[in-house]
Amino acid sequence: MTVKRQLSMVMDLNKCIGCQTCTAACKLMWTNRNGREFMYWNNVESQPGKGYPRDYENMGGGFDADGALRLGRQPSQEDYGIPWEYNYEDALMTGTDPWLRPNVKPTWGANWDEDEGEGDYPNSYYFYLPRLCNHCSNPACLAACTRNAIYKRQEDGIVLVDQERCRGYRYCVNACPYKKIYFNEEISKSEKCIFCYPRIEKGLPTACAQQCVGRIRWIGYRDDEEGPIHQLVEKYKVALPLHAEWGTEPNVFYVPPTSPPKLGENGEQLDEPRIPQSYLESLFGPRVGEVLDTLEQERQAKAEGRDSELMDILIGYKHAEMFKLS
Amino acid sequence: MTPTHIVSGRLTRHLAGALTLAALSVTSVSVFADHEEVNPNVQEVEAWDTVKVSRIPENIYLRTQNDPDDLIWDRLPVYSTNLLPAPPVHQSVSLRFEDGATRGKHLYFQVARSDERFYLRMFWKDATENRGTGVDSFRDGVAVQFALNDADTSYMMGTGEDNPVNIWYWRADTEEVENLAAGGFGSTTSLPQQNITGASAYFPDSVPSASEWQVVMSRPFDSEGEHNVDFDRDTVPMGFAVWQGNDNERDGNKRVTHTWILLDTSLDSDTAK
Repeated sequence: MTVKRQLSMVMDLNKCIGCQTCTAACKLMWTNRNGREFMYWNNVESQPGKGYPRDYENMGGGFDADGALRLGRQPSQEDYGIPWEYNYEDALMTGTDPWLRPNVKPTWGANWDEDEGEGDYPNSYYFYLPRLCNHCSNPACLAACTRNAIYKRQEDGIVLVDQERCRGYRYCVNACPYKKIYFNEEISKSEKCIFCYPRIEKGLPTACAQQCVGRIRWIGYRDDEEGPIHQLVEKYKVALPLHAEWGTEPNVFYVPPTSPPKLGENGEQLDEPRIPQSYLESLFGPRVGEVLDTLEQERQAKAEGRDSELMDILIGYKHAEMFKLS
Repeated sequence: MTPTHIVSGRLTRHLAGALTLAALSVTSVSVFADHEEVNPNVQEVEAWDTVKVSRIPENIYLRTQNDPDDLIWDRLPVYSTNLLPAPPVHQSVSLRFEDGATRGKHLYFQVARSDERFYLRMFWKDATENRGTGVDSFRDGVAVQFALNDADTSYMMGTGEDNPVNIWYWRADTEEVENLAAGGFGSTTSLPQQNITGASAYFPDSVPSASEWQVVMSRPFDSEGEHNVDFDRDTVPMGFAVWQGNDNERDGNKRVTHTWILLDTSLDSDTAK
């Protein structure tokens, strides 16, 4: 799908500290009310992990090799996690309930498996993966909608659900392999990340990017050769899409995480990274090794006092340079 | 209800029964998959049959306008028609379409009018009462569509803006009936006039497969506004659709009347009193 311009985001997973400030910023801005309570338009997952909704990577959706829609599984409320509240008033104020307890039995939720990761000490590992709608160039949600209720804006490529057209069929929820489109039970319509377009239109970055304390997010247009997206994705080729094999052509890219070497039985450093490269390749594709090598070289250059434009970009000195919205 | 009306009603139903039995003898059993009881008072209707509206006499007072269980419905002819899966027209639907699906669904309906109002009652067997709509659950629903023009309008929700359909859509999580128009699939749009009223009831049975939904919809007989069906003509092409929430049916995943049933809304002089 061709649009005049495409806004894009790059996230450096080496800098993400999993603080969920982005998640909180997004939730306060858009999803803490009106049937959206269970939704996280932006969330941060521990990887390896089941993700949100639970096991979304194995739910299907996206496109097959011939470009036809693949049938997916509809996530259940349980897969998202059922939001619960505590009886603060009864337990702490009036004393009418001796126990402070949730109103539903919590059995699963976003970040249920936070910081679990995989592997055994001293070679256990995990990293954080923030996820939002990829505002794909070939959106499966758009292809799956039988009513043309989903559209991609010409001016910036943001994918939106026309709430007037949506009749709540949930084909889009099923089709999005990233499960970043949600069904609002209260209004019987589907809703998703809007890339904070009311902010974008004022020249401001998305709430998740603005609030990011790790300064891991860059926003800009793909065609802006001076902008950070072009530099990271096209020039230095260090930012990769998540699960490109699903065929939706995402416009959110990730700088894959480097990791310290694995330790052998006697504590000696082995010649392989703690996070298995094969695992990273299963997420970000076959170019991971190449990207990690580039990062290693540039980091070394900076450490030795030489210039590295790439490292300067990735450090993110100024918000004005991280967000190029014109 | 006047004595003459009751007599003429019974006569009609006896005739209808004879027709149904005749129809049964030549129709394959599979078509009647969920049609276990053969009720001689129910007339089987096929595509292109004409169905005549029944008169609700002026002296009959409906205590509740759309009561699906009102006694009046016991006095009016019942029609039955077989709904078949709608042909898939979008990849999203064909992905969920069982190849060679022939599972039919019998919908029973009654059509009636008074001087001022048009009534439609529909009932069908449904072992599961799916009222809620959740992230992974779907509600039951029923709809009727009327071609605004002739019967050469596509039964698949009309043919473009020149030959649209008017759709009355009820879903199990609300008592509202939505007034819609469409000119081809994917174009369904809510109309500014929401003047269709309705009510529903689910009657569970100890034998689940005998449990039943009953829905009544009604509207002032005279139409008002663009894309609202005009009943004041010889015949009105009419078709039905049923969605089984339990089968995750929504949108084009539904059972429908293939082509049209013709509705005759005129009042003959002999049934007018």
